[in-house]
Amino acid sequence: MNDVLFNVGYGHFLVLAAVLFLIGMVGVLLRRNAMIILMSVELMLNAANMTLLTFSRMWGDVGALSAHTFALIVIGVAAAEAAVGLAIVVAVFRGRRSVDVDKLNALRH
Amino acid sequence: MDPQTLSFLGLPALAWIAVLPLCGATINLLLGKRLSKSTVTFIAVGTVAAACVLSGVMVFWGLFQHGVDATGNMSPKALWEGEGITQVAWKWIEVGSFKADLAFHLDSLSAVMILIITFVGTWIHIYSVGYMAQDKGYSRYFGYLNLFTGAMLILVLAASLPVMFIGWEGVGLCSFLLIGFWYENDAYAYAGRKAFVVNRIGDFAFLLGTFLLFWAVKSLDFQDIKSLANGAKYATTAWGPNGSQVWGHERLAAAAGICLFIGACGKSAQLPLYIWLPDAMAGPTPVSALIHAATMVTAGIYMVCRLSFLYSVSTTAMIVISTVGLLTALVAAFIAFAQTDLKKVLAYSTVSQLGFMFVAAGTGHYAAAVFHLGTHAFFKACLFLGAGSVMHGMEHGGSKTPGDITTMGGLKKHMPVTRATFMISCLAIAGIFPFAGFFSKDAILGGAWSVAGAGAPPGWPPFYGYLLWGGLLVAALGTAFYMWRLYFLVFSGNERSEEAKHAHESPPSMLSALVVLAFFAVVIGFLGVPELEALHKIPHAFHALETWLAPSITHVWWVDAGIKPEMGHEPSDVVSIVLMVVALGIGSLGIGLAWMLYGRGPSPTVAKLVEGPLHGAWVASKNKLWVDEFYDATIIRPFKAACKGLFEIVDRFVIDTIAVNGAAFVVSLFGRLARWFQNGQVQRYLVGVVVGAAAVFFVTDCHRHPAVTVTLKNDQLHLHAEPGAGIVGSNAKLHWHLDGVPACDGDKTLPGEPADRDIRRGDATGSSIALCIDDAISHTMTPVTVRVPTEETP
Amino acid sequence: MKTFALLLALGMVLGVATPAIVHAQPVPAAQAAPSAKPQADLPSVAHPHDDVVESHGTGMALLFWIFAAACIGGALFVITRRNLIAAVMGMVGSFIGIAAIYMMLYAQFLAVLQMLVYAGAIMVLFVFVIMILNRPEDEPVAPTGRAGQVVGGIAIIYLVGRLAGILMNVVVPTSGAVGMGAPRALTLAPYGTTPAESVPWGTVKAVGMDLFGAGMFPFEAISILLLVAVVGAIAIARPLHPHDGTDADPGTHP
Repeated sequence: MNDVLFNVGYGHFLVLAAVLFLIGMVGVLLRRNAMIILMSVELMLNAANMTLLTFSRMWGDVGALSAHTFALIVIGVAAAEAAVGLAIVVAVFRGRRSVDVDKLNALRH
Repeated sequence: MDPQTLSFLGLPALAWIAVLPLCGATINLLLGKRLSKSTVTFIAVGTVAAACVLSGVMVFWGLFQHGVDATGNMSPKALWEGEGITQVAWKWIEVGSFKADLAFHLDSLSAVMILIITFVGTWIHIYSVGYMAQDKGYSRYFGYLNLFTGAMLILVLAASLPVMFIGWEGVGLCSFLLIGFWYENDAYAYAGRKAFVVNRIGDFAFLLGTFLLFWAVKSLDFQDIKSLANGAKYATTAWGPNGSQVWGHERLAAAAGICLFIGACGKSAQLPLYIWLPDAMAGPTPVSALIHAATMVTAGIYMVCRLSFLYSVSTTAMIVISTVGLLTALVAAFIAFAQTDLKKVLAYSTVSQLGFMFVAAGTGHYAAAVFHLGTHAFFKACLFLGAGSVMHGMEHGGSKTPGDITTMGGLKKHMPVTRATFMISCLAIAGIFPFAGFFSKDAILGGAWSVAGAGAPPGWPPFYGYLLWGGLLVAALGTAFYMWRLYFLVFSGNERSEEAKHAHESPPSMLSALVVLAFFAVVIGFLGVPELEALHKIPHAFHALETWLAPSITHVWWVDAGIKPEMGHEPSDVVSIVLMVVALGIGSLGIGLAWMLYGRGPSPTVAKLVEGPLHGAWVASKNKLWVDEFYDATIIRPFKAACKGLFEIVDRFVIDTIAVNGAAFVVSLFGRLARWFQNGQVQRYLVGVVVGAAAVFFVTDCHRHPAVTVTLKNDQLHLHAEPGAGIVGSNAKLHWHLDGVPACDGDKTLPGEPADRDIRRGDATGSSIALCIDDAISHTMTPVTVRVPTEETP
Repeated sequence: MKTFALLLALGMVLGVATPAIVHAQPVPAAQAAPSAKPQADLPSVAHPHDDVVESHGTGMALLFWIFAAACIGGALFVITRRNLIAAVMGMVGSFIGIAAIYMMLYAQFLAVLQMLVYAGAIMVLFVFVIMILNRPEDEPVAPTGRAGQVVGGIAIIYLVGRLAGILMNVVVPTSGAVGMGAPRALTLAPYGTTPAESVPWGTVKAVGMDLFGAGMFPFEAISILLLVAVVGAIAIARPLHPHDGTDADPGTHP
């Protein structure tokens, strides 16, 4: 127990990232507001980034295209995705006057 | 040109004997409504008459042919002293090694039968012309009657059990059709159904017997079965399946014989299965005459005689047959005492006489059985037709219940011809010399006497023959009594009702048949005069029947030890004559008693007896010994209850609720399940993704870890690691690592192999022991907690 | 909110001050020597941060837990708040925590970039859109249905537990040992240079060398991606009719 608390190793980072990821996933699954869902997706991306960096640090990943370049690109992609996602939310809101995803069930039929 | 090869249009002549009435049936049933009455009549009567002529030709032609005897030489003996002729119509079944041809066989036994059937049948057809003249189902009636005749002829001419079964079933069917001819009346329809169902029970037993024989003999031709029964060495192996000795020769013959006999019980109305015959009187009277007096009910006797070789093997079967026959004769006679319906008395009389015939067959005197069959055919048919004539007359007199004898009486004034023929037939059935019944009944009684004492077959108690004889005598007494009671009540005394006063004689078409049959009832007995030393002067023709039948009926009891004793000891002349006199006396006694009690209508004595000492017996007799009610309570009601129960459980519950509704329920359940997944909300789909990911994770992760065991032996620690289970675990490479060297190098096991390491106990303490696990998920060095055992493990 | 801002400030301070604190810590002895415990101990495994810059011990642990609390607290905020702006604030706090964690991992460049891009740009974008939509509130929990919730909950709990169990046991051998993929030196040699001129992992220089060297194609690609995203966002969010896109009264909407 002491070991876990006071000797912080790579495992702790990984678990933290995993927990963040799962919290984000819970948010995606349970919240009905589209904005919150998008934010939870961002959270998941961040968690993935953290995992990436941790492992990279662990293994001394210095080859071509190391992990934090990758993480950088992930941030960029997250930004792009957030932009487009928000644009969609705006468009949908314009049409339906609501961002409740439960009402967006046209896929049913 | 000889009878063996005679054929018309490709079909052998024997087949034509059966086919002619069938053609008539086809035409009448299909086109009868459109044809005129006379055409229908012509076709119906004509085909049966033609069959009669053809059978006469086939039979008597053979008498003068020269045949080939056993040694292959031409012999001047008549053809019928050999095996008879067999003609094959066509190949019917050929499956693997089982062959059944549609073959017809004519020998002396079937010759007798076809002559009786066609001759009596023709006269009954003629009678029916008058009787059914006003009926609107005229063509249908004659169609069925022809169909019946054809089926009966198939039965009798059959050369193998399957062909016989065709005829067997056919006559059962026609019996049903004809009994329930006036089907608009529910009671008549039920009577037809009862006949069919009871017959069916017998048919089931018949089939069981057939299967048993097939099992043993691998063939169902009579010749084949006979040759095996007849074998010079009574090869028990031949009878068991695959040549084994599971069922000995005699036991199998007994079993098959008894099964087939039960079938005969159904067809010939013997003890447990006779209940349909009294109800069958619901049909038109000529039907009763033909089917239930002369022909169909004799099918059972014929079958037993045809298979005489089989029954001769097993005296057990013979004892069963005799016992059943005796009991039937007695019971039926008892019931007939108190019946008041004309035809019902005759029906019970038929059952009783059939019992006589079966006793004869059971004692081995098949010829006597056939003889009685023949004589009975004539006088019983005459009695039935006479009854029909009486009922016809009563109907014209205005009676609504024409068969009720309590309303009759004094009809001798109104219907003299009917009365005369009826009286002749009653004399015949009572066994009065010189009418037909005397000789045939005496043959049976003599046969019963001859199997008593020293002449008993092996396995029979010696007194049994005397028992049979005595019982038959009592039954004969009863027969005479109730038949003459019937006669007196119908024809003598005064008319007991208005309708009787207005009765009149029947038309000539009906009377002609009556006269012909009565004539034969008188003369036909002389075919079977017993062979007495004193009568040797009389030409052979007089005991012709027995000699005639000799080639086709087995006369010996086959016994395992190879001894072939004759059937019983023929009694000496003196004994024979004494027996004849006794039989005659009993018959006369019966007639006398009947005359005393009923001579001029029912006398007061009868009433006193009925109220007084005989009351119980009278009630029992009148109620037919409550047999129908007994069957209803013990068999029919439980059966119906079982059907109802099965309906509720199996039909309603299992099939409807579980299977049908259940299937629908399952379908809708899955539909609901699928709908849950497809509600259009993406979040729901993501839940599926997450659950799926967790499942995948679970599957690969489960039991991944290796199992570690440490054993101590001789101060040596043995470390053993088994790879775990699951996809990932079982492909792990393991390696024990010691001494604190933080490396998992070299020497790793192959994927899935356990890893072992031995170290001294002293080294275990203080050193670090690690298990290197290299699997798809982790490439770790896992510290293993090694609890050093304190004592040796065995 | 106030407490939150306080936590935020504290986190930033600590994040900046961490290396200083860390450097002040003494280096404890390696635990490679087998102890006299009857139980077999871990063989000498590499503790985290057993690398060029020695940094482990109780202080680091404390910092870690604080930043972890920030991350997780912020994340929980996001998924539980009804008020969207509150959720955004929680998100920002989580990002700050994440940035601090990155710093603990010695990924300096990424930590700063995280703050600038994520908390600075993306969250601002979120706030803009929230303002446009003018709907700051919402029901917090979606009625997925009992069955779905239960099944999903079980799955997630299982995943958390299992992942924690596995990830905590990930063990890396020390850099000196030969064997199952020992980590290489945490330095990067620039193109055409000798290993002596290596660049430490995580610095701007290292990232730049990587990005504009081997990662040139991804770099160009990401820029095109961003361009496409911008164009796409405009295309999607563009009003179809001239009077759309504003808070027009619902009545006039077709």
